[in-house]
Amino acid sequence: MPGGCSIRALWILNNLDGVVFSRRFPVVEKQWRAACKTENESSNEDPVRYTVPPFLPNDSEIAAAFVERKKSEGSTRGYGIRVTHSDKRSDSWVDDPITRHIISLRIGAEEEGESYLLWPLVLHVRGPYCILALPLIEPRHLKVYSRLCRRSDCGNAAGVDESISSLLLDLPSITGAFMVALAIGDIIIGDMVDPEVVVSVSPSVGGLLDSLTGSIGISGISSRAKPVAAPVASATPSSTAAIGAVASDAPKIGSRPLDKDALRNFISGAMPFGTPLDLNYSNIFTVKVNGFSSSDLPPSDLKQPAWKPYLYKGKQRILFTVHEIVHAAMYDRDDISDTISIAGQINCRAELEGLPDVSLPLTGLNKAHVEVLSFHPCAQVPEQGVDKQAMMFSPPLGNFVLVRYQANCAFGPPIMGFYQLSMVSEDEGAFLFKLQIMEGYKAPLTMEFCNVTMPFPRRRIVSFDGTPSVGTVSTTEHIVEWKIIPSGRSLTGKSIEATFPGTVRFAPWQIQRAPSSKSGSDNRSDGDSDVETESANNMVNVEEFLMEKMSKDLPPVDLEEPFCWQAYNYAKVSFKITGASLSGMSIDAKSVSIYPAVKAPVELSTQVTSGDYILWNTLGKCPSAATA
Amino acid sequence: MTDKPPVLKPPLSSQDWDSLIDDFQHGGARRQKWTAAPQFLSSFLDHALSFLLKKDFPLKIPLLIFMEEFSETFFTDESHLLRLLDALRSVVQAPLDGISVTFLLKEQFMISTTSIFISIDALNKFQARCTEGLAELLLTVIHRPNHGVDRQTRAIACECLRELEKSYACLLSGIAGHLWSLCQSERTHACQSYLLLFTMVVYNIVNRKLNVSVLNTSVPLVPFNVPQLISNGKEFVGLNYKELRRALAFLLETPQVLTPFGMMEFLQMIMPVAVALELQGSMLKVQFFGLIYSFDPLLCHLVLVMYSHFPDAFDGQEVEIVKRLMLISKETQHYLVFRLLSLHWLLDLLSKLMLSREGKKYKSVVDMGLRFYPAVFDPLALKALKLDLLAFYSIYLEGLKLEGGSGEDCDASKSVVKLIEDGLISVSAFKWLSPWSTETAVAFRAFHKFLIGASSHSDTDPSPTRTLMNSVIFHTLQGMLVGLTLDILRLVPVVVSFIDRLLSCQKHCWLGERLLQSVDKYLLPKVKIDYQLVSYFPVFDRIAENNSIPPSTLLDLLTKFMVFLVEKHGPNTGLKSWSQGSKVLGICRTMLMHHHSSRLFLGLSRLLAFTCLYFPDLEVRDNARVYMRMLICIPGMKLKGILNFGEQLLGISPSTHSSSFFNVPSPRHYQNFKKSRGISYCIHLERMIPLLVKQCWSLSLPPSDIGSSKPSHLESIMDSEPQVDLRELDVSTSFLATSEIERTNQLQEPLRVMDSKISQILGVLRSHFSCIPDFRHMPGIKVNISCILRFESEPFNHLFGASFLTSPADGVDALPSLYAIVLKFSSSAPYGSIPSYHIPFLLGEPSRNNHISCPSVSPDIVSVENDFEEEENYRAPVTIDLEPREPTPGLVDAFIEANVENGQIIHGQLQGITLGIEDMFLKAIVPSDISEHAVAAYYSGLFDALWEACGPSANIGRETFPLKGGKGVAAINGTRSVKLLEVPADSLIRAIEQHLASFVVRVIGEHLVNMVKDRGIIKDIIWKDAASDSFLVSTASSLTGLDQGPLHLTYFNDGEERETQVNGYKRRMGCILLLIFLPPRFHLLFQMEVSDISTLVRIRTDHWPCLAYVDDYLEALFLT
Repeated sequence: MPGGCSIRALWILNNLDGVVFSRRFPVVEKQWRAACKTENESSNEDPVRYTVPPFLPNDSEIAAAFVERKKSEGSTRGYGIRVTHSDKRSDSWVDDPITRHIISLRIGAEEEGESYLLWPLVLHVRGPYCILALPLIEPRHLKVYSRLCRRSDCGNAAGVDESISSLLLDLPSITGAFMVALAIGDIIIGDMVDPEVVVSVSPSVGGLLDSLTGSIGISGISSRAKPVAAPVASATPSSTAAIGAVASDAPKIGSRPLDKDALRNFISGAMPFGTPLDLNYSNIFTVKVNGFSSSDLPPSDLKQPAWKPYLYKGKQRILFTVHEIVHAAMYDRDDISDTISIAGQINCRAELEGLPDVSLPLTGLNKAHVEVLSFHPCAQVPEQGVDKQAMMFSPPLGNFVLVRYQANCAFGPPIMGFYQLSMVSEDEGAFLFKLQIMEGYKAPLTMEFCNVTMPFPRRRIVSFDGTPSVGTVSTTEHIVEWKIIPSGRSLTGKSIEATFPGTVRFAPWQIQRAPSSKSGSDNRSDGDSDVETESANNMVNVEEFLMEKMSKDLPPVDLEEPFCWQAYNYAKVSFKITGASLSGMSIDAKSVSIYPAVKAPVELSTQVTSGDYILWNTLGKCPSAATA
Repeated sequence: MTDKPPVLKPPLSSQDWDSLIDDFQHGGARRQKWTAAPQFLSSFLDHALSFLLKKDFPLKIPLLIFMEEFSETFFTDESHLLRLLDALRSVVQAPLDGISVTFLLKEQFMISTTSIFISIDALNKFQARCTEGLAELLLTVIHRPNHGVDRQTRAIACECLRELEKSYACLLSGIAGHLWSLCQSERTHACQSYLLLFTMVVYNIVNRKLNVSVLNTSVPLVPFNVPQLISNGKEFVGLNYKELRRALAFLLETPQVLTPFGMMEFLQMIMPVAVALELQGSMLKVQFFGLIYSFDPLLCHLVLVMYSHFPDAFDGQEVEIVKRLMLISKETQHYLVFRLLSLHWLLDLLSKLMLSREGKKYKSVVDMGLRFYPAVFDPLALKALKLDLLAFYSIYLEGLKLEGGSGEDCDASKSVVKLIEDGLISVSAFKWLSPWSTETAVAFRAFHKFLIGASSHSDTDPSPTRTLMNSVIFHTLQGMLVGLTLDILRLVPVVVSFIDRLLSCQKHCWLGERLLQSVDKYLLPKVKIDYQLVSYFPVFDRIAENNSIPPSTLLDLLTKFMVFLVEKHGPNTGLKSWSQGSKVLGICRTMLMHHHSSRLFLGLSRLLAFTCLYFPDLEVRDNARVYMRMLICIPGMKLKGILNFGEQLLGISPSTHSSSFFNVPSPRHYQNFKKSRGISYCIHLERMIPLLVKQCWSLSLPPSDIGSSKPSHLESIMDSEPQVDLRELDVSTSFLATSEIERTNQLQEPLRVMDSKISQILGVLRSHFSCIPDFRHMPGIKVNISCILRFESEPFNHLFGASFLTSPADGVDALPSLYAIVLKFSSSAPYGSIPSYHIPFLLGEPSRNNHISCPSVSPDIVSVENDFEEEENYRAPVTIDLEPREPTPGLVDAFIEANVENGQIIHGQLQGITLGIEDMFLKAIVPSDISEHAVAAYYSGLFDALWEACGPSANIGRETFPLKGGKGVAAINGTRSVKLLEVPADSLIRAIEQHLASFVVRVIGEHLVNMVKDRGIIKDIIWKDAASDSFLVSTASSLTGLDQGPLHLTYFNDGEERETQVNGYKRRMGCILLLIFLPPRFHLLFQMEVSDISTLVRIRTDHWPCLAYVDDYLEALFLT
């Protein structure tokens, strides 16, 4: 069978590079070997040698190869793009950032001539664990990759040569393997967060299990209300996976490294033979733990979807929460325009009996500057891209994200103004904030809290002086935090202006030789003493001099960062606004209709939180980007 | 392993099992210790199965998975399988008790058993009844649709059956009808598994083109039999289209029940089926295109897969697809990798569109406004990929420019420039961050992408290259990079590695060269010359390496820089001067390695010369001198060879370590004896001017006093205290005296009669001797023998390995060469210590038959000019400096020591050099107070004085003359001799002109003077008529004196000779006088009385042994 998404094997390594869990799928492995056999028979003269090992590498081999790669690639993920340290035959030689996520391992000793390439290994780092998943591909793909990382030329031209792009397009199994790795990451960390749906009535708001257990709750299976976080941001490690705990006999201690039973159960439910069927862990765990009783009757006329193994029973209602995260880069400059963007989503929880369809018209999309929307797989969207969209969906059980969208701000920025920091000497800076908060915002928009933090990660704050016009200030070693609106004292329907002049003194600058294993770190020692000496005198102002000095030993950031945060002075604003969305996205409760018709109240809520809401130091350098 | 095999102790506790499983997973020795013991394997299965059926064993599921993963180790026999199957049956049929028998266990048992059956290939390796048994068991499980409690178990059983069907295609084809009906009736969430199972069966039927009914339920579900076609391999070709289309229609109605992964599986099977059943692709599109609006990346990918399967059906949807992919990349809610993936998909889609040359479609997609500007908060990885897309877009714009008319031209190019500039803003931090920052890496990656644009590496067509060279992109980037290099010193190494990257690429090295050229052109004139300049050295080094760039500009700059360094040098800059000066030399070295010496010569020699002379640092000066020397002496290719060789030995990059050259490799080993003997066959040291006399003997005068270190006999110089000169005549020497030798009385009484004439003579002699250095106390007078060293390539190669043997077509480079040649000399003759001679480099002679060295034959300059020039390469002039203690011929032994190209040292003896008496002929030293135009007169006077002093009636007797240095004195003991040469005057004069011209001091006789003077070769001497010459008187008298001598000439022509003199005075044309100085302090005087047909040579000397050789010499000179 062509294509498909199968996984040959899975490994989980801890931060000591030891394999703590591994799982091989012999059925998939058999397919791989059969494919290799066919491939070998069909092409005799192939420059790229690949041998089919009798077994998948065992755990110790994987661990060794992983350490080896880490060594040659500088870090767990590797350089990603071709740098001077990149070796031919390594991933970074391919010169693509995706090689930080899709890695290859070379198994076996090179000199013995028995080494072979293992690719593609999907790498997902979660907490202290590295998850490696090896999807099934065809041998020819492996050959192509092998050629790519051996090529002797200067690198790929955009869209012309044999490229990793076409491999990735050809291989849905890689995409699938990522989804598997992500799901497993959530399980081993025990951080399975349902999208948050704000409910005004019931204190216990969770996902599927709440739907099943009502408000009674089963001991040990309580759901958590957590702020919605973008999946990228790794949340703090929470308690162990509560759901899988029942099947395990081993004593459950918080420090236990890995809940292998939960993992095994998840795998045998989600991908019994290595081919994933469903990765919805709440469904899988509920089925494993609860099973089905004779009272769980199948629907009489419809087929029950595989993604909805249980049907809701009880009081019916439907809840929607519009959640928006605001990212902004505020420059207050003539040459760079401020940018503000909103990533929004509509979370839903439909407590409806049977298998009803819900229709939800979304209006005012143009006014809301919504760029494009994307939907939960259960949703049917007859038409796209007009101002009004009618959407029909058959809701799954529990909380789920119904729609995601990108939008612009319909109002002015919630926090406007500037931040100026000027170094009066090498160790002393004078700063000034002048902020306009919630200007033009009317009720019911409410700002629940608003903080401004000035991080100085590379300097130690010795003293601080200054009083803001509003709010309180506290400092820690590296941060000045200004609480403009403390939580509990919300601001509704009016705007305030806040100013904050002050000075901050730092401990004398010390050269930080970060023990970085990243690229280029050795370049530093190579620096020519002839050159360095003079630059100091030529600098015109302190600021530039300091900048120069500090950026000298800045370690390179990971490719996953947008830029080198530490190179800039900025203030980060965090806030939460409720009452309405900033994009203008709204749901009209009256227009929500359910088929077959039932009487179910529609509850709506909205919350806006800040993401990267950054005020750049107006007097310093700042990162920016052109807009089309 | 020293451990006792733990076989005897099969695992009992959970911990034992845990460690057993761990050991297997870990592999290597830990697994080995278990598998090595055969008893373990045989007993394992019983053991494991019994544990699986135990009531309170907690590790049942891990044990099952373990058996599954290592099934090939444990299941090697059919009985194993049967036992496993029995165990499975008992578990599946056991009632649930919630503790030892759970659904979980049942499900895992089914999964593991199925997996084991498949992975050990049970159906093909063992009897079919095993697999039949398993399938039957599974079928009984699934055969209860809608049963509420075990729905998950039924779903798993369906999955097991699907895996069996996948591995053994058409295994279940016979019961397809049953499966379909089960599929239709199942309404719980397990229906996905039923659906997929049935789809799998349909897929295999279609794929194998089986003529099987999918409606027919006449075959009972159980007992299950493996269909004939699998067991006997026969296939019934021909599809039942009608039924299958119905099945497909059924399947296509149900996809909304599938999970995304279920959908994936489903569509992967449905697509080929749809193709085989000739279903319209647009049907699928209608049904499934909506998936693209999902935020599930897998579903979006699925649409892309469909698009690539049915490009026609999805025609016109490209814009929509591209839009969606753009959205995914922008969705911050996504995990980063999916945003990256979406850009990759997009890139590939676009490039496929571009390749498809469906211009219109492509244009519409790109025109959509492919504005992939990175956003501020995009992770750098995303920025990098978006820049890739921009690079891609820039290619498109370039294409537009080329296709479009002039109107669009400037628009497109403007927008390309804008595109690049705008795109790079997002990583502009590379301008102020450290060069190792990730921003820098991303920015330069983008430079690379933009630069190479659409020029593929696989492409052999050169046209894109040409396009590229003229492209706006190229010009823009070139300017940007040069600007960056000039403005931001920090970035120089980055720019250099960027250029390196291009240079190392076969296809794009010209781009790197171009960049270097533009650096050379635009940057070099602009750089400021100060201490910061050294930051640019890495890029200078690349320029120096590059042959395509004339080095003059760089050399100029470096010279200026050297001047700067010299000027700025002070007490505080010592180290800096040294370091920077060395770096400059490093670049010079690079140039030497990569350019033709001729191209460099002028500039580099100026730079090096300046450095040699003025640079404050000694080491730098020294190094410069060495480079200078190498530049001058060693031809290009060989020089490169040397420099490269040094590099290989040290493994250090050339540029930064200029001193590396001086770490001379230690000699590897000496050549063996045979080889060293052979050296003289191929390496030749030859005299530049061959000897006239093939001297095969030499007069050896053994010391009288053996005990004394220096021969007292013929002590040429005495210490100044008066000493009785006891000369002993060794009789043994007299046998050599074959010509007329007349010796003055050895024991003359000191005559102290001083008349004015004598005192004048003495005065002349004193001043003469005072110019002669006393070799015992100071460097004596030297005799230089010019030789050439050459060696023949072919025998040389033969002798020293075939590694140099290359085809003659390779020219000079193919020839072997010798380096650092040291010639050492020794001689038994009293020549003092002979300094060794050093030749830095010598190229082997090409083997040419006609290549014969004959320097005595004056070469025809015009025709052989090239030849001659070429020859110079193969011949090294060698000068042997002798400091003779005695003017005597002799043999000089020569030894060679040299390096061969591969670092070997060869050494050995060469053919010796024979020295003749004529080698000792020197001009007398002229005192420094004699002005130039008085030299001739001085020589003439000196001749007279010496002639007199060596004459028979020498009145100067025992007069001694102090030598230069004041410590030694010399006395003159004259000897006379004559020699008649029967040669015509013409040839005599010619011979004199050729060999003795410089020693002629006076020509007497009008006729002779006219004759000689007209020829113009002998000049700056005294010309005299016969009449005015008083010398004739003395010659006449000496002639008579000779007649009176004890040795009478008895030659038959003696009379005639005298007659000539006496009677035929007219025939006598005149006299030629020659004064020859013989080092260390002797003289040889010839008076040649020239007549038409013969010449009488009167010889006087103060060193009688030389007469023996002079005779031979004269004969060889005039008579042969």
